[in-house]
Amino acid sequence: MMLREGLANRVLLWVVTVAGLLVIYAPPLYLLAISFNPALQPGLPRLSELSLKWYASLRQETALIGALEQSLIIATATAVLATIMSLLAALAYFELRARRTAWLLAVILPMFVPGVIQGLALSAVFTRAGIKASTLTVIAGHLLWAMPFAFIVILTSFAAVRRSYLVAAADLGANWGRQFIDITLPLVRPGLISAFIFSFLLSLNEFTRAFYLAGRQNTLPVVLFGKMNSGASPVIYAMSGAIFLISVLCVVLIALRFLWQARVADSGRRMAR
Amino acid sequence: MSRARLPISSMLMAPPLLAILAFGLLPLIVVVVWSFWSWDPVTYWIKPDLSLAGYAGILEAGRWTVIVSTLIKAFGTALLCLLIAYPTSYAIHFLAGRRLNVILLALITIPFFTSYLIRSFSWRLVLGRAGIINDWLQAVGITDAPVDWLLFSNFAVVVGLVASYLPFAIFPLLLSMRRVDPTYLAAAQDLGAGFWKGLTTILLPLTKSGIFAGFLFVFVMVVGSSTEVQMLGGAGASIVSVMINDVMRVANYPMAFAISTIVLAVIFGLVLIGNRIFGLASLFEDQSP
Repeated sequence: MMLREGLANRVLLWVVTVAGLLVIYAPPLYLLAISFNPALQPGLPRLSELSLKWYASLRQETALIGALEQSLIIATATAVLATIMSLLAALAYFELRARRTAWLLAVILPMFVPGVIQGLALSAVFTRAGIKASTLTVIAGHLLWAMPFAFIVILTSFAAVRRSYLVAAADLGANWGRQFIDITLPLVRPGLISAFIFSFLLSLNEFTRAFYLAGRQNTLPVVLFGKMNSGASPVIYAMSGAIFLISVLCVVLIALRFLWQARVADSGRRMAR
Repeated sequence: MSRARLPISSMLMAPPLLAILAFGLLPLIVVVVWSFWSWDPVTYWIKPDLSLAGYAGILEAGRWTVIVSTLIKAFGTALLCLLIAYPTSYAIHFLAGRRLNVILLALITIPFFTSYLIRSFSWRLVLGRAGIINDWLQAVGITDAPVDWLLFSNFAVVVGLVASYLPFAIFPLLLSMRRVDPTYLAAAQDLGAGFWKGLTTILLPLTKSGIFAGFLFVFVMVVGSSTEVQMLGGAGASIVSVMINDVMRVANYPMAFAISTIVLAVIFGLVLIGNRIFGLASLFEDQSP
């Protein structure tokens, strides 16, 4: 603690923090709780009543399942592409001397383009080029949505790559490719895995771009949106709850990995001493 | 090898650059160019032209008021987010122990990767006539009948927007706090500065770029948002993205893109000015050698 906050100020700081977290988490957690309530009316279930009834009935919802399958395909393809592209972008950033900032901005700026505008404009481009809306068009739209996030994650993991390692390898005769495979790639692998999972989730949950770019088979968020507005039902709560839970678990997994690695690195440092 | 070779950075750059140009820049060029085309209200056809009809349409039917109210909402939401985000970032960076720090960081990261649609929708269950807040208000006896203005109102929209985009304010603040040299704070402490004095004279000025970036990120995200208004707004509620959607019902590309051009000019203008003044890019660049 650098500043002596005093008890009152510290309490105040934590109260605001908890309030902020409640604003973010209380509603979706409430929705999750409702999804375990067997009653038709939304409300908190009693502990004795908890039931997976609505989750079991999801299997009969063919429209939702079809949309989920479509979303999973798109999310996987987006994640693969976004991870590779962001790795290349980060490697280029690492090699660049001048114009680094310009390159960083070029990769990150698409994040600020509103989804409606990007989706609509891209669909206009595709229509003019005679490309029919399909799985591929959604992937194209999601790629630029996921790339800035994947790029930042991978760039952060590049902090582990010391230039001296590469110089040493070069002195020993390793060319660029050898250096990449033997040194850079192993060091940034955790970043690549995180980037893959993050891109997957961003695509899975993306709604506005898919709304304009989806072909005959809509993605899950687009179908959910329609159902949410045409009278909510417990099945919607179950599907939303499941997707929310899966997204949370994926990020938690990454956090745990990160924690575990920090601990291993710590004990390694202690051993070295 | 005798042939001059391309520098390796250009070869690495080519694929992502191509994707950015094809899926990012080209559509934006189309947006600007088509905003000057003309649109026939009878056939819904559009044709190349150099007309300002799309822009003129913004002045009709009170469309410009939607733009103004969007900017006001974005400004208000960004301020609210900063008021919550600054103490939160402070608590995460300076107060939390190591383990709690990781947990809180994870909690702030998760919302980026969950569905904005589902999170906005879940506010309906909280704020609705039969939602928990109305249940509680009646149970405690504050009101007899459910309060109607909680949901499908500007209040609900702003609450939903804060919930959606709060993490966008926290992250840049955390990054900027990490770069504050702790000895400055210790020195202030030694010279007798209390918490508030140290905060206002040392920490706030040193985290200026984080404050601006946090404000900007939320502002920009709100200007581009649509789900929160679609899920939580009242009957006539609108925001630019929803208005673009409405204009597109009659395939009026020129007007939709005229609105888009204005929105993009505001967003990119702010981001680039922010980068010039505060070096936003350096917030992310710091970690890599």
